[in-house]
Amino acid sequence: MRVLVVEDERKLAQVLASALQAEHYDVVVAPTGEDGFYHANAEVFDLVVLDLMLPGRGGLEILQTLRNRHIQTPVLILTARDGIEDRVLGLDLGADDYLVKPFALPELLARIRALLRRGRPSEVLRLKAADLEVDMVTRCATRGDRMLDLTPREFELLEYLLRHHGHLVSREMLAREVWKEPRRATPLDNVIDVQMARLRKKVDPDGEPRLIHTVRGVGFVLKENEP
Amino acid sequence: MIGRWRRASIRARLTAWYTAVLTLMLVIYAGATFVAVRHEFRERFDEGLHEDFEAAEESLVRTADGGIAWTADRHHEGDAEYRVAQEVWSPTGEELYRSDASLALPRVTPPATGEYRYETVMAKGGRWRTVTAMHSVGGMPVVLRIARPEERLRTQLQEILLVLVLGLPLVAALAGISGYLLARRALAPIDHLASEARRITAERLHEPLSVPNEHDEIGRLAAVINDTFARLESSFDQLRRFTADASHELRTPLALIRGVGEVGLGESRTPAEYRETIGSMLEEVDRLTQLVDTLLRLSHGDAGTIRVVRERVDLAQLTSDVISSLGILAEERKQGLILAAPEPAIVSIDRLVVREAITNVIDNAIKYSPQESNIDVSIRAIDDHAVLTVADEGPGIPAEHRARIFDRFFRVDEGRSRDRGGTGLGLAIAKWAVEINGGHIAVDQRPHGGSVFRITLPLSRVAIIADQAAHHRVGG
Repeated sequence: MRVLVVEDERKLAQVLASALQAEHYDVVVAPTGEDGFYHANAEVFDLVVLDLMLPGRGGLEILQTLRNRHIQTPVLILTARDGIEDRVLGLDLGADDYLVKPFALPELLARIRALLRRGRPSEVLRLKAADLEVDMVTRCATRGDRMLDLTPREFELLEYLLRHHGHLVSREMLAREVWKEPRRATPLDNVIDVQMARLRKKVDPDGEPRLIHTVRGVGFVLKENEP
Repeated sequence: MIGRWRRASIRARLTAWYTAVLTLMLVIYAGATFVAVRHEFRERFDEGLHEDFEAAEESLVRTADGGIAWTADRHHEGDAEYRVAQEVWSPTGEELYRSDASLALPRVTPPATGEYRYETVMAKGGRWRTVTAMHSVGGMPVVLRIARPEERLRTQLQEILLVLVLGLPLVAALAGISGYLLARRALAPIDHLASEARRITAERLHEPLSVPNEHDEIGRLAAVINDTFARLESSFDQLRRFTADASHELRTPLALIRGVGEVGLGESRTPAEYRETIGSMLEEVDRLTQLVDTLLRLSHGDAGTIRVVRERVDLAQLTSDVISSLGILAEERKQGLILAAPEPAIVSIDRLVVREAITNVIDNAIKYSPQESNIDVSIRAIDDHAVLTVADEGPGIPAEHRARIFDRFFRVDEGRSRDRGGTGLGLAIAKWAVEINGGHIAVDQRPHGGSVFRITLPLSRVAIIADQAAHHRVGG
């Protein structure tokens, strides 16, 4: 999978590149708008991560040219906090998703996975990790031969973790995707933490290998072995 | 031209108006005066003519041969100005006597008996005023006509007119000058006020303008300006305090990040320890991000750039949602979180914004209430308002802090609330959120301790009408 990152902020570009490489993507970094424009036109990528605020040729211009040439590579745009108009304009011009700076890396990676998965039906009816199994049809969760008694919220939480099996999940993602809250706030963070603690008690009782891990300062991950 | 008029000073405009109005009034006054004077002069002239006529009547006699003769001298002989011409005609229009043949007045037409006919006729290069009437001299009917030149009357009137016309611009000029002086005098206090106000800067707002007489217009203006400055000063104070508080709040996580990072780099550690260190730094970054986000939102709120999307929402349902979301936190602390909402309360609000306010207030109650206590949430409709109360059994808020509890970054107990993960902005956001939806929020002390937050929102008018209609249907 080839990903083009058009980002002029050197440090951020480095971070993005190494994070994507860690996920085994083939990354090309373009530090200017001109560069990005050249790469996007000359080569084939599976995905473009595009900063809108670029010196020289702006991100919106690159996006517009790509779409005018019927290049349908998925584009994820990065905008500053206040660029609401830019964001709307970007989506209108054919961007597939956007993230507002500052964003969390797990979130960016999840969005990229979602964009790359798109178009391929991924209706999984059974999610598995180690001896943990979740049946989406009967809404039953089992660990080994033990049946887990989950509340609806806990079930949704576990499902979300399983869908991002092996990948970090931030509180922000949980707030939006599981709690369906448009904005993450401190009270909700506390709610998420308590809910996660309860879920963990049911999924990972003492003595069994832990599956749900807290990564301090980042979020949570469901994984067979320690991160 | 108009542009220049707009740019002109008030003083110049006042003067111009004053002069124009005064001149107009003078013109009207002078015109009226002249008309009246002219009328009066003409009356008097005709009266004099009549006297001449009567004198002529008395001095006219019939001679023995049937002719006409004068018994008295004709007066004003030789006085060109007061020349009087007499003529006697027979009723059939034959000339019997003429004092001045050179006058050549037109032939007379006999007037009706008893009528005195006054006419102005042209003769000898001038205007003559005549009076004509029937008269009987010794039983013989004759037509008597007396004529006088109008010249003197006209000269007098022209002189009066000249005085009026020449005097007018002079008086108007005087009016202009005095108007200017008056305006300057009247506006002087404003100039003074302006120069005083000019020396007031953001740092010197507390120095009030001097008010010479607080009961006159200028005094009231100065009082209003002073009042405005006082309010400005208080908002500047608030801003200063806010900036100080915000820098403090921002600096705390920054200091932590730096400290944790420096300690972490100090000596070599195990990967697990490094992860701990980085995680701890990320936590603070997260806190900073949330703080900045919230501050940005508040500043957008202040600037009025947040669009409120109103819809009809059942406040009871909304609160119930919040409670079911936050319930788990109360559960952890073994608190009872009870909602009493006997009936729906439909309000017209931005659902998300108000939801955040309710969340913050209830979260606040959970955080500051002791374990195993009760938090009572109730919703009632009072008149045309929905009132949401959140009553806890916590320590309550000291009276001296209640006014500031909704201020940004205000904390009753500095150290404690940070540990509980608050930004110090929750209640400030709640206040903003409620107020932008047309409601208000207040806090009170409960009689037996604990505080009670009260959110009041106007009921949706549509709902009120529907409610009344429903009652009506039930009643009827």
